[in-house]
Amino acid sequence: MNRTVRKFLRNPLNLIFLTILFLILIVAIFPGIFTRYTPYSMDYNAILEKPSLNHLFGTDQFGRDIFSRCVYGLQKSVVIAFSSILFASFIGTILGLIAGYYGGAWDLIIMRICDGFFAFPSLILALFIVALFGSTLLNLIIAIGVVYVPIFARTVRGATLSIRETLFVKASKVIGKSNTKIMFNDILLNLSSVLIVTFTTNLSTAFLTEASLGFLGLSVPPPEPTLGGLVGQGTAFLLSAPWITLFPGFVIAIIVLSLNILGDGLRDILDPKNK
Amino acid sequence: MRKFLVTILTIFAIVGVFAAGGKLVIAMETEPVGLDPHLVTAFASHRILENVYDSLLRYGEGMKLVPNLAEEAQAVDPYTIVFKIREGVKFHDGTPLTIEDVLFSFQRILNPDTKSPAAAFYQDVESIKMIGDNKIEFKLKKPMASALLPNFAGVNSSIVSKKFVESGKNMQLETNGTGPFYLAEYVPGNYITLKKNPYYYVKDQPYVDEIKIVFMPEEVSRVAALKNGDVDIAKINEPLNLKQFPEGKFKVYRSPVLSYYLIGINTTRKPLNDPKVRNALNYAINREAIIKAVAFSEGVVTGPLNPAVQPWALQPKAFDEYTYNPAKAKELLAQAGYPNGFEFEIVTSQRYNFDKVAQVIQAQLAEVGVKVKINLVEWGIFIKRWRESDFDAFISMNSGSIEPDIQFYRTFRTGGSTNVFLYSNPRVDELLDLGRSEVDISKRKAIYDELQRLLVKESPIIFLYSANQIFVSNASVEGFKLLANESLVFLRETYKK
Amino acid sequence: MSFGYLIRRIITSIPTILFVAFLVFIVMHLVPGDVVDMMLGTQNYLTQEQIQELYRQYGLDKPLIVQFGIWLKNLAALDFGTSLRTGKKVIDLIFDRFPVTLELSVLSMFFATIIGIPLGITAAIKRNSFLDGLVRVIGLIGLSSPSFWVGAILIVIFAGLFEGFNIFGYVPLTENPLKNLQVMFLPSLTLGLMLSAQIMRMTRSSMLDVLQQEYIKTAKAKGVSYSKVIGKHALKNALIPIITLFGIQLGYLLAGTIVIENMFALPGLGRLLLQAVNERDYPVIQFVVMFIAFLIVALNIIVDFIYTLVDPRVELR
Repeated sequence: MNRTVRKFLRNPLNLIFLTILFLILIVAIFPGIFTRYTPYSMDYNAILEKPSLNHLFGTDQFGRDIFSRCVYGLQKSVVIAFSSILFASFIGTILGLIAGYYGGAWDLIIMRICDGFFAFPSLILALFIVALFGSTLLNLIIAIGVVYVPIFARTVRGATLSIRETLFVKASKVIGKSNTKIMFNDILLNLSSVLIVTFTTNLSTAFLTEASLGFLGLSVPPPEPTLGGLVGQGTAFLLSAPWITLFPGFVIAIIVLSLNILGDGLRDILDPKNK
Repeated sequence: MRKFLVTILTIFAIVGVFAAGGKLVIAMETEPVGLDPHLVTAFASHRILENVYDSLLRYGEGMKLVPNLAEEAQAVDPYTIVFKIREGVKFHDGTPLTIEDVLFSFQRILNPDTKSPAAAFYQDVESIKMIGDNKIEFKLKKPMASALLPNFAGVNSSIVSKKFVESGKNMQLETNGTGPFYLAEYVPGNYITLKKNPYYYVKDQPYVDEIKIVFMPEEVSRVAALKNGDVDIAKINEPLNLKQFPEGKFKVYRSPVLSYYLIGINTTRKPLNDPKVRNALNYAINREAIIKAVAFSEGVVTGPLNPAVQPWALQPKAFDEYTYNPAKAKELLAQAGYPNGFEFEIVTSQRYNFDKVAQVIQAQLAEVGVKVKINLVEWGIFIKRWRESDFDAFISMNSGSIEPDIQFYRTFRTGGSTNVFLYSNPRVDELLDLGRSEVDISKRKAIYDELQRLLVKESPIIFLYSANQIFVSNASVEGFKLLANESLVFLRETYKK
Repeated sequence: MSFGYLIRRIITSIPTILFVAFLVFIVMHLVPGDVVDMMLGTQNYLTQEQIQELYRQYGLDKPLIVQFGIWLKNLAALDFGTSLRTGKKVIDLIFDRFPVTLELSVLSMFFATIIGIPLGITAAIKRNSFLDGLVRVIGLIGLSSPSFWVGAILIVIFAGLFEGFNIFGYVPLTENPLKNLQVMFLPSLTLGLMLSAQIMRMTRSSMLDVLQQEYIKTAKAKGVSYSKVIGKHALKNALIPIITLFGIQLGYLLAGTIVIENMFALPGLGRLLLQAVNERDYPVIQFVVMFIAFLIVALNIIVDFIYTLVDPRVELR
């Protein structure tokens, strides 16, 4: 493991973007240190101001500081994206393990359901869920998470299929280990590198999904900002006040870019095919 | 020689003061939902149909009632209205308008099977009958003749052809009216073409031969289409976009509308069931700031009646509560037993800037210690909760009227059909009944003055503002005007230079 | 052999599509607010009886499972339903809107291909050069940028630089081809740029795989011209993964690029669906979702089938 980490860090690209991601995380955890204004305070005399030294990213239609809203929105977006992928990986892994390990009817049912979810337009699915349960932070996390469950289920199932046939799983069976133990100890342990890679790449797309939902007007209740919500709010003013859309979009792009580069780096090292 | 003169005159007539004929293209945001004039409720349908159908009366400039298919209208006494029907009017299919058609139209509206929203307006009509061969008389159960009159100008009170309806035509899809235009083509999701009605009873009108109304739900498309010259007139919702239309090349039309933004309050839930608490909130709300931030100053503060509705409306400055005074709000809240404020939820939706109004209200009330939780729901869910009075408070918009009885009765009377606030005040009920039957204007004004003050004092609704409606046309368009009820009846007088 | 496979794939995909139909049906009816609510809005002019009558007319008074059964029965008779709001046949609405989405998809794939494949090949040939690095970074940026953000930047640039360029205001291709292509240009470029990043990466990596194969090295050693090696031997074999990606991307595009259609005001399938959801136009939601599911499933099958044509080694069972 130690060797893998060293190998990963030897690539300067990985190091740079890991640092960027780390800094972003710091900002997300301690937003108060980096902002002059609260993200909520309105100033009716500073409506839609262009970016300036006073307001680095400009102001929105209520005179709120976009930079502050980006910083606080970043926090919310990180929580949403991370939790939803955590949720998806948890449910998806269990489903994938069951489908892959037991096979037969389990496999058939779970995979057909996954196909169904794959074929369902994902934004509409999320839209339905949020409409059904209300747009709270938790529901947004679930709505985005549900979209990613089949991806994890499929990946885990595929990997489980091959691990199931390995000698040591057969050995575990012979010595009388229970199925649950085999699934959650032996197989899961061997899935770790697959899971890490899948987690990283899908985490990046979760940010994009949150942003798309925000664009369609589905976000956490106001006045709380999220990066997606900010973008959505700004699209009405695209031609008169582009900064409302462009800056939060830029922040999203940076996060996703970092995650993608790290995902690539991880895959190069962890994926057995690349050894 | 004579022939020559005629030719000259004809040419003059064509290139004269206004160039008659031609085609006008208008970009609108929403398309009609159905075409049956007695059923439609959407503004988008009204705007089209009031150019296709005629009612007995209609609104002229300044929202004054003017004769239309009725040459004369008279409230003989509080219980009786008599209309004299215009002669020589023809439907688009060429059949003449008869008094039978007028009678039939009202029978159709009142028939419960029709499910017309207008049936509710006329529920207190006792009888409708012909007198002589060109007059029609409405007898009322309650003394409310003058309060009822504006209803006769609505699209929902259009006069339809008896023969046409009885031939089994689907009125939601086909039209046959007496209006200045007939509906030539409708491609849902795309456009509607209106063409000049050759039989229209007003000479020379309409001025243009054809109007094409294209539906562009996105503001950006309408702006682009107008800038590129693809359309002549476009509805603009976002005031910031006006920057893109330089003066000289374009004309901007704006007028306040009767509909108004409001905070609706469930008057049965604590602590907002206390009129003192609701009253206090008024002082904490800075209405000018809302207009500035949400509507970019394109709007006017409104009391219970739009300030333009004369002679009835009290001007906003007549209410002490409309002076922004957070200190006083805090003091009143303390008196009501909430020195540290309280918390409540505002349900709202992302339509017509409701969510934005909610955010400003939230920030303003926070300053007096009142914590607002905004529950942003999808529109369908909003309607459900509105109907079931399932809210502490909500932000929405009500369509207004020039007639105080229409504006207030259903909304504030105990058990009224749109009284989702569950508001009940015996004095308000009494005033509503009195105002409805009073014919003397100054006495009636006194009644509605008291009612308006009472409504602001008790605030089952906190009245906020009316936004301006904005249209932009290219410079060649003449004669286009707006009305506060958001109708486009002046299309018949619009033309291109 | 592969024909039997095709039949089997088609049959096994029917439950998937029906599951989607059932799922959308249930979820759609669970969401509060129905079509009658939406029609009445915040006006209460009907009596309770009249409202009940409306539900009856729309067939919404029956238990959900019965409604679903009726829908299935009609589907079997190829009756795809009628929009409750516009009174138009749902199938006609699809005929209206799908061409827009199809045109957008085809144009986007066009941009993605002409940008992605040449850059991907170049990067693979000049592996580890500066150009390769640049292509990889650009590819990653393309992958990482939200589509509406790219769209927003393009809109701001075009609105600023090209006065009179039609960014908005869709007209059908048949009505005014020049304007249609202008309006379609930015949205398809936006999508094309994003998709080209994926294609570029895929082309690069599969070209690299192929270039390391023995037969390519042999061909090179034999003195076959370089461009011939690349063009004829390597590219052909690198195509399989690219075709897969093509299929996935086309499915994604045809499913209605809701965000881009909204941003550029294009009356496509995604917009139709979103509008139907907003209006609770049940028959439209139901059929459009199923139509999209059908497209995605069908594309998957077609992609698998093309494999066998490109590479006879792939055997489908």
